[in-house]
Amino acid sequence: MTYFFQLVVSGIVVGSIYALAAIGFVLIYKSSRVLNLAHGQLIAAGAYITYTLTVYCHIPIYLSFVLSMILMFFLAMSVERIFLRRLIGEPIISVIMVTIGLMSIIDGVIYLTPYGSENLSFPSFLPSQPIVFQGIYISYTQVAGVVITFLLIGVFSWFFRKSTVGISMRAVSDDQMASMSIGISVPRVFGLAWATAGLTAAAAGGILGNIVGLNFDTLHAFGIIVFPVVILGGLDSLPGAVAAGIIMGLIQQFASGYLDGNWGLSGTASLLPYIVLLVILLFKPHGLFGTHEIERV
Amino acid sequence: MMSANRWMATGNYFTTYRQEQRIFATHTDRLIFALFLVVLFSWPYFIELSTKHMLVVDNILIAVIAVYGLNLVTGFAGQISVGHAAFMGVGAYTVAAVAGVIGDQHVLITHAWPLMILLSGFTGAAMGLIVGLPALRLRHLYLLMATLSFQLIFQWVIGSMELFNQGQFMYVGRVHWFSGEVGRSQHYMFWYYALLVTVVVSGLGVRNILRTRYGRSLVAVRDNDRAADAMGMHPGLTKVFAFGLAGFFAGIAGALQAYLNRGAGFETFTLHESIQYLAMTIVGGLGQVTGCLFGPAAIRILDLQVESLAQWAGGILPSSLDLATGLRPLSFGLVIVLFLIFEPRGIANWWRIIRSYVKLWPFRY
Repeated sequence: MTYFFQLVVSGIVVGSIYALAAIGFVLIYKSSRVLNLAHGQLIAAGAYITYTLTVYCHIPIYLSFVLSMILMFFLAMSVERIFLRRLIGEPIISVIMVTIGLMSIIDGVIYLTPYGSENLSFPSFLPSQPIVFQGIYISYTQVAGVVITFLLIGVFSWFFRKSTVGISMRAVSDDQMASMSIGISVPRVFGLAWATAGLTAAAAGGILGNIVGLNFDTLHAFGIIVFPVVILGGLDSLPGAVAAGIIMGLIQQFASGYLDGNWGLSGTASLLPYIVLLVILLFKPHGLFGTHEIERV
Repeated sequence: MMSANRWMATGNYFTTYRQEQRIFATHTDRLIFALFLVVLFSWPYFIELSTKHMLVVDNILIAVIAVYGLNLVTGFAGQISVGHAAFMGVGAYTVAAVAGVIGDQHVLITHAWPLMILLSGFTGAAMGLIVGLPALRLRHLYLLMATLSFQLIFQWVIGSMELFNQGQFMYVGRVHWFSGEVGRSQHYMFWYYALLVTVVVSGLGVRNILRTRYGRSLVAVRDNDRAADAMGMHPGLTKVFAFGLAGFFAGIAGALQAYLNRGAGFETFTLHESIQYLAMTIVGGLGQVTGCLFGPAAIRILDLQVESLAQWAGGILPSSLDLATGLRPLSFGLVIVLFLIFEPRGIANWWRIIRSYVKLWPFRY
């Protein structure tokens, strides 16, 4: 039973990072209907920026975490400004293909830095002794990660419910024409959506880097699992993203805990999310909490 | 009446749909096409290429076949596929797995290779149909996610199953032709001709599919699925059909690649490769059959340039940097983005401009 709870705990830890990562994706989709394929690369970039600031610039990790979020905020905003702003009005398919191009570009840039091939880990800033509770191990980093994740999720839900900017972003996602007519600048909202996505990506990347270390392949694989998460939760639902993130974390932990090693299976944790994705697409295309579209074509 | 002169048409004088749907509008087009074919088939007799460059030419032709399929899905049916390399992998691993089970020198592999290639096409098509299935329930571009997960599931299956040698290289034997076994010295030349025939046949095949009601319904669904639905087409089934066709061409391309490389390896069917095929399609021109020829050539040549640049720079910079692995995705990504922003109709559009210029010369219009 301890084993089970251990898996639950680590599932929740991983899942909450998924949730944080998925929020950024959902934000972009909600406001502009663009599936941002480059989101995983934004997360990786966030992780590496945090690492660079901490290790090479000797900035305390708390500060560098915040700094990298700010940097990614402006970086993602400029990505939107440079590449995507000129495609407003083009068919959405070309915008999505541009994000595929971006994915490739950021991949290439990271491969060109020494980070592309090295295994790095953050200097530990919390006690490395894990917390033991009833035989369940949790490290301080994981606790910090979960706490920061839920704090950020709380901040974002407040932001979307109460702040004017957040409400205008929701308005744009609801109806672009109508929001234009009441004086919301739609391109600005798109820019903001990307910027916020960059910010959450940096946060997710920073936390992830602290928990699992920095290896580009791992970060890459992590970034792609964001897609099953958002499909499971429903592409345009923030609570869905959070719930689906945690569900996906649990699925993965249970898979690697119970399936691997039995029946000659291995690495099922990296396979199951995609099977879930296909099944969800076939049987419940709007995910758990996504908006149902009435029209059937 | 149509224009009396079918050699020198100065414009479109179509009066029936039949005329408009012709593959070759004028006799001149047909003549140029025939001359082009003659050149393609005969140049190896006049120019001797090194093995390395012959391999590049062969790879371009394989990519052309794959891009036919991807262009049907992305250009004509308007769905993005980021799993095209995996569909090719299905084809390649069909051949490789059969070779692994019955032995790579079995008659079925070495003598009945056209049958094996067709079989791979059908397994690819079957996979395409399965991946396309969610289209029955979905609108928009969610299918992108289905292809992405197919790509990753494919990688997992290849990497972990004994049947596929767990992603290690699997050998496929040399093929036989009427003159006996195709030896090492003729290998690339033989496959150049085999590929060329496949490219021409499937190119004409794609052109013909696009003239049929199924092909035209692809375009109709892309442009407006509600209107297509109202006109009695089934948008979901049309998209599934498009994915099946794409899988078919990818399967054939993959099988040919397995024969050309004398085996199948895991690393030629990754997500990066899928993106490379997408880059080829975009650069060539979405929704243009001629674009399927330009795109692969342009990207493969770019690839060669990047490689030599990386080699040149590798001599100057510290060797710890692996430039090629970084420059490749970087250049493909840049090409995708720049073409989509500045020339969304691809190289095929330049070709169209040149053609219309030549056609009307010496007049401006």
